[in-house]
Amino acid sequence: MSLFVDFGYTSLNHFGEELCGDKVEYAKNGDYVTLVLADGLGSGVKANILSTLTSKILCTMVSNNVSINECLETMVASLPVCKERGLAYSTFTVIHLNHSGDGFLFEFDNPQAIYIHDGKCLDLNRKKLLISGKEVYQSELKLKDNDYIVTMSDGAIHAGIGATLNFGWEREDIKKYLESIYDSKLSAKAMATQLAKSCNDLYLDKPGDDTTIAAIKIRKSLNVHIMVGPPVEKEKDDYYVARFLDGADKTIVCGGTSSTIVARYLKKPIEVDLNYLEADVPPTGKIEGIDLVTEGVLTLRRLLELSEQYLSIVDLSPKIFVRQDGATRLADLLFVQASDVVFFVGQSINAAHQGLPIDITMKLKLVESLANNLKKMGKNVIVNYD
Amino acid sequence: MVKVTVCIGSSCHLKGSRQVVEELQYLIKENNVGDDVNLSGAFCMGRCQENGVNVTVDGQHFSITPDEVKDFFKKEVLSKIK
Repeated sequence: MSLFVDFGYTSLNHFGEELCGDKVEYAKNGDYVTLVLADGLGSGVKANILSTLTSKILCTMVSNNVSINECLETMVASLPVCKERGLAYSTFTVIHLNHSGDGFLFEFDNPQAIYIHDGKCLDLNRKKLLISGKEVYQSELKLKDNDYIVTMSDGAIHAGIGATLNFGWEREDIKKYLESIYDSKLSAKAMATQLAKSCNDLYLDKPGDDTTIAAIKIRKSLNVHIMVGPPVEKEKDDYYVARFLDGADKTIVCGGTSSTIVARYLKKPIEVDLNYLEADVPPTGKIEGIDLVTEGVLTLRRLLELSEQYLSIVDLSPKIFVRQDGATRLADLLFVQASDVVFFVGQSINAAHQGLPIDITMKLKLVESLANNLKKMGKNVIVNYD
Repeated sequence: MVKVTVCIGSSCHLKGSRQVVEELQYLIKENNVGDDVNLSGAFCMGRCQENGVNVTVDGQHFSITPDEVKDFFKKEVLSKIK
């Protein structure tokens, strides 16, 4: 059975710095996903350049199946040498994983990655290698459904040092913390953000070091189909609805006319809930056989805002969606639960909507931006225009 | 029992569905007619070009703005009870 690799990361900048000295790079190539977390020497611009080069070089080369020895040689030869310290240095963690959960992990000078299996935090078996004069640790990965790997820059284990904690946040305590927040429903991004938030709390909102948490999670695939707007060819409505319903694990209908068409096809009534849970998001509806029915453009606009917030690497708000308004429920289905998203976008024009902020151009723009953001989250996205 | 349905589609939402719904909920309570009025919502009644929010009372169609709700309720809803 095919699994899905979910990933996410969150960074805290060294207090007073505009740039982060940590950098995460991500690439998909065929069946493999590659994630690199690099932490450059120092902070600010210099650290940012070092970690950007390191993560970009490693990620591109590893995802194209270049051996780790060659990757490191290239990296060592490319990094600029710091004038003051006479060093060219950046730590890294590389995860390279396929959709069956098999792959490897390389670590150099970052805190040891934490492997979460069945809600328990474990250490991976590590083998020490000497490559280009660097001590690099290699671990084989054989991940199962719902396993996580959490990697971090040293800002995490230094959190609170000399202020709230004598010796910083020790790795063993981070493990205990992760076990305490563990919930198999948490996305990789939610896990990373929650840990970063706690580091920020220990730093009393003034991080003494760049801190980055990157997590990956492997889980079952979930195919979500979403219909937005009625198709142009009215007489073929039934054909389009049948195609929309075919092969989906979960189905979503956005928009009044679309809901009417789907309800007619399914021969079920639409029930509308009159509770306004959010002032600017219209209420949701219910059609038996459809997982979520919402209003169209206004709800999607709010969803786009939520997607920007979810993707932000500095936003520390919890990345879980519990409210029950249409936009939040869409966010939970699309950002957290889905692995594959197929849009069925109808381009029929509602004359009464033209000139209002809900017209067809607005709708198409929103879908395009949303599809892009879902891709940034690592989802497989297809958009059909009907 | 009088059935009142308010459209909450995109177009009507922009014209004030939410105020209309809340005002109606309030008026139903104030007049103590919760057992006589069935208030529900609908997604798009296909009359988005009307000026106000689309509302039906026992199937009869009306288009009302949020300011008109009070008069509308008295004239079209309360009058139909008993």
